[in-house]
This record gives sequence, structure tokens and C-alpha cells, in this order.
Amino acid sequence: MVLPPVAVVAVFIGFPVGAAIAYTLGKTGGPNSTIALIAQRQHVAKHGVTFAAYREVLGNAHVRGDLWATVWVTLLTIAAVVVLSWAIGLYVRLSDTWIARTVSALSVIPLFIPVVIASYAILTFYAAQGFIKTLAYHVGWHSFPTLGYTMWAVVIGEVWVNVPFGVLMMSSGLNSVPNALIEAARDSGASLPQTIRAVLLPMNVIPTVIVATFTGIYVLGSFTVPYLTGPSAPNLMGVSMSQFFQSFNQPQQAEVMAMIVFVLAAGLGTIYVWANMRAAKRASQTS
Amino acid sequence: MSESTTPAGLLIDRVSKDLAGRTIVDDMQLEVRAGELTCLLGPSGCGKTTTLRMVGGFLQPDAGAILIDGVDVSRLAPEKRPTAMVFQNYALWPHMSVFKNVSFGLRLRRLPRREIRDRVEQVLELVGLTHHMNSFPAQISGGEQQRVALARALVLEPKVLLLDEPLSNLDAKLRVRVREDIREIQQRVGITTVFVTHDQDEALSISDRIAVMSGGRVEQYADPTTLYREPATHFVASFVGAMNFYTGTVADGAVEIAGGVRVPCEGARRNGGAPVEIGVRPEDVMVSTAGDGAEAHVLREIPRGHYKELVMQLGEAEVRAFVGPEVSTSERQRVRFARAVVYAEGVLRPSTEPAPLR
Repeated sequence: MVLPPVAVVAVFIGFPVGAAIAYTLGKTGGPNSTIALIAQRQHVAKHGVTFAAYREVLGNAHVRGDLWATVWVTLLTIAAVVVLSWAIGLYVRLSDTWIARTVSALSVIPLFIPVVIASYAILTFYAAQGFIKTLAYHVGWHSFPTLGYTMWAVVIGEVWVNVPFGVLMMSSGLNSVPNALIEAARDSGASLPQTIRAVLLPMNVIPTVIVATFTGIYVLGSFTVPYLTGPSAPNLMGVSMSQFFQSFNQPQQAEVMAMIVFVLAAGLGTIYVWANMRAAKRASQTS
Repeated sequence: MSESTTPAGLLIDRVSKDLAGRTIVDDMQLEVRAGELTCLLGPSGCGKTTTLRMVGGFLQPDAGAILIDGVDVSRLAPEKRPTAMVFQNYALWPHMSVFKNVSFGLRLRRLPRREIRDRVEQVLELVGLTHHMNSFPAQISGGEQQRVALARALVLEPKVLLLDEPLSNLDAKLRVRVREDIREIQQRVGITTVFVTHDQDEALSISDRIAVMSGGRVEQYADPTTLYREPATHFVASFVGAMNFYTGTVADGAVEIAGGVRVPCEGARRNGGAPVEIGVRPEDVMVSTAGDGAEAHVLREIPRGHYKELVMQLGEAEVRAFVGPEVSTSERQRVRFARAVVYAEGVLRPSTEPAPLR
């Protein structure tokens, strides 16, 4: 029963990943022999493996700049998405007004807009000749900063793309907390902020971890938003990888960069798995 | 101090509440004496939980006032009121241990750690749960969870304790035990308590007084014995306990019901011949195989454990009687009423006052 899916995963995911890892360690034969024929600046392991490609990539100041920018944008986006998702989720959970329902509906609209369209929309809004800058100019604020083609535009774009998922997750988590638990806290003397801190926050750790980790993994691997809205350099690793692979014809270096991004994403994935295991352990202890 | 000058533990003064365009509580007036346990009893949708939520501060009354110990608390938020609520589904925080659940309100009040521990231990001892101090809610039974919820409310030493159908999630046997526990603890602490339930048996067994509600109004507010023996309205009579109802007339020493059946009834006084509603509790139906009672045919015999219920045809009407399990029954029985209550236009007619002629 389990063999077909395992075989599919092994052939279509496991094997390419294994071949790519081997290629980054200087193994240019076998499944990597074709790409090795056309690639430039390759590091070939004569015996065993070599970390020369890793040394080259990590020794490149431009790549280190990209890596730093990627980490910075990822952390900032995670923070913004978590805060915004919590704020909107809480507002919708605790307020039963038409405004709250409208905010809830509007916040998921970006889910249905392709990222490439959203990126151009962000550009026309924040670019040097964009709407915001033009508006600022007309009201006399000539020094208003241009956000288009900066890392700020990338962060805005990434937040725009990830907030709907965050709001859906947080709303779902917050709505699963029964009203009686909130009322019991108020009845015990807790103010609204105390109720949020003592009841809603600890009961929504898992949705928060999911939002943070999934957003982080998405930003680490994103290409369209930073490519269209970000600066030429430094930019996110996704854009850099693409340049090394296509423009510079250095697939080994591109795959090394992919490995580095994978390690970062795996770190986030570990937090997600740890949080789930902790929740499962607590559930088994209390049932 | 005389009773008239002592403020009520809780006064619900002409309170009304509309929800979604419907009047849920309508000009309600209720006074609960300090230390008294009052039950709000009624069918679903009668406004009892809405009333309780207004007392707790979770809803604001549209009109009227709520006073606790003579102080108007109508506009205070729940956290500012001297009340504590025990919720229907316990509402224990699943991520906190029993100790943390119970101590939550005390920690908010920034009491010294030593005092918090002492008070939590005292209240857990009161509800018999000190051994579960470090357990999580999911690790204890439903009855224990309910007692933790009660401890969490009592530890705050509120002036009024509110219980919103606290036993409805428990099985029948546990419900009886926990309600006795609640009553015993309430009496020991001497706290003014409002208990919402739709279970008349529950209300009759633990209340000092019961307010029977219907359509957002209090139909009758009385002690359990009065409520049962002299239900003020037809609704109360039909909602509290079982009651046989007949339309008929009352003569001296008998009642006459549909089909011209004349049933001897002790204490009956002629009412001028006007048709009235006559209510007879099943335990007031006397059954014998001989005598001057009206003839009835036994349709069914339902064993109820320590008694049995007879369903009989009495003329055109049906009559239900509770008799001892030792009473032998034949197909034909003679029926008398030991006691009957009479309603004119749905309202109890005092036995000393003849019903008006129509």
C-alpha cells in the first residue's frame, strides 16, 4: 500500500535532491554529467567530495550580501505577517460588526490575485513615479522616499502575499476558542489585554508557529516579488540563484545557494515540527 | 436591622432586554435575599440565561437596573462586578493546571504568592479536590471539572454566585451528587446564588426559592413547596411536576369533568357552575377497587421503580395516577381526587374565593 507513494517521492524528489547534493560536493558524473558538460567554474572532486563550491559561494561578498538581505527580509516579513494576522484575527474574533466582517473578507482577497500582478501593482504604488510618491509630491512632501526597487518594497510585497494565509490561520485558531473561555477570564477580573495574553495567546501557539514558519519558508524561496519589486543588488537568494544558474551559467554555485536556503528553511521546519510534537505530547498527557 | 431596610443580595429591578428584535426579558422583577439560593427555572428561550448574563455583566439591560447589596452594577463590565459565574461547559482553560485555573483571578489581583496558595488550597479542600491541584482539566472527570469551576468562582469571594445550567453536561447519577455538593457548599459559604436550570427536579431539590420564567417574565416566585402545591398559573402547574388538567365545574365535594363524569374531591367548594380549569397532581389521584369514586378503566401500567404510574380512561378524559408498587390494580378502578387546584383564565383561584359566574 505504501510502496507507490514512496516510489513516487523517491524518483521525483529524492533522486533529484540526492543528485543535486552530490553535484554541490563536486560529483559531476552520472546524473550530473550533462549539466557538468556545459557549466562554468565547476569544482570537481577527484577523490571523495570537495567543499570548494561552498567555499567559493560563501567567500563571495555579493552572495553574503544576498544571504544577509534574505535573512533580514524573511525575519521582517515574518514579524509583520504575524503581527498583522494577530491584529486582524483578534479584531474579527472580538468584534461582531459589519466593519470587522468587511476587514475579514478584504484581508483574504490577495489570495486570489496572482503574485506577478500584485508585484506590478505594488510597483505602481510605491515606485519613483508611483501613486504614493506622486500624491506626496502634490501635497508638498518632495522628500518622500521612493520605496519601489528597494528591500522595503520586497518586504511590503511579501507581507501582501502572505497576510491572507496568516489571517485565515489565525482567525481559524482564534474562532476555535469558545466564548465561554474568554468570558470566564473576564469574569475572573481580567481586562481584554490580560484575557488575550492569558487565554487567546497560549491557545493559539500552533497557528502562530504555522504562520511564522510557512511565511518564512515562502519568503526564503520567493522569486517573483523580489525580482520585480526589489533592487538589482543585493537581492534575495531566489533571484541570485536564478542569475547564477541562467545568466552566469554556474549551476553548481546556484545549487550550493539552494542548499544554503534549504538549511535555513529546514531550521524553520524544525521549529514547526517541534511545536507540533510539543502540542501532541501535551494532548496525550491531558487525555 | 429589620428585613425591610436590609438591601437584597441581588435585586433585578424591572429589567428588559431585546436581542435580534425579540424581547427576551420583559420588565423582570426579582429579589434574591442575601445568602439565598434562587433558581431561575423555565423552558428553553424563556430568558433565564439572558437574565443571568445581565447579572454577570456579559449583557447590558435595555431598561431597568441590577443592584447587588443595594449598589447599582448595571453598567459595570464583568471584571468590575462582585459576581462570579460557573459556566454550562465549565469553561476551564485547558492549558492551565487546576491550581492555575483556580488562582487566575487572585494572580490578576496581585496578591502575595503565599496568600494565593493558601486560598486556593482552602477552596480546593472545600470542593474536595486538593489531590488534583496539579492536574490539567482534561485529566479529571466531568464532575471534578465542575467542582474546579465552582472553586474558581468561590475563591474570588464574590457577593453573588451565578451558575448557568452547571449540571447539564453530567450524567444523571453524577448530576444528583454534584447538585447536592453545590447546595452544601453554598450553604456552608452562605453566598447569594442564582442557579439557572430547565430541570424542575434540580430546582425543587436545591433552591430556597424558585422563579419560574416564561416569555421573559417571572410567572411565579416562591419556595419549592408552595410552587409545587399551589402553582400560581396554568403554565407553572404544567411545567413544574406532572398534572392532570380538565375543563369542568366544581361542586361541593366533587368536580365534574368532560362527559359528565363526577369525581369526588376533598375540599372542593361549588364555584357557581362556571367552567374552569381543574388541575390534579397524579399523587392526589386516589385509586381503589371499590367505593364511591368515579369509574375508570386502566389503559397502561408503567413501573417507575419505587412507585407505579397508572394511565386510566376517565369518561372522555385520561387520568394519570401515581400509586405504590404494592397496590394491586384491576382493569376497573374507582377514582377520587384528594386535592385539586382550580384556574380561571389561567390564574390560580384561591380555594376560599368562588370563581366568578360567567
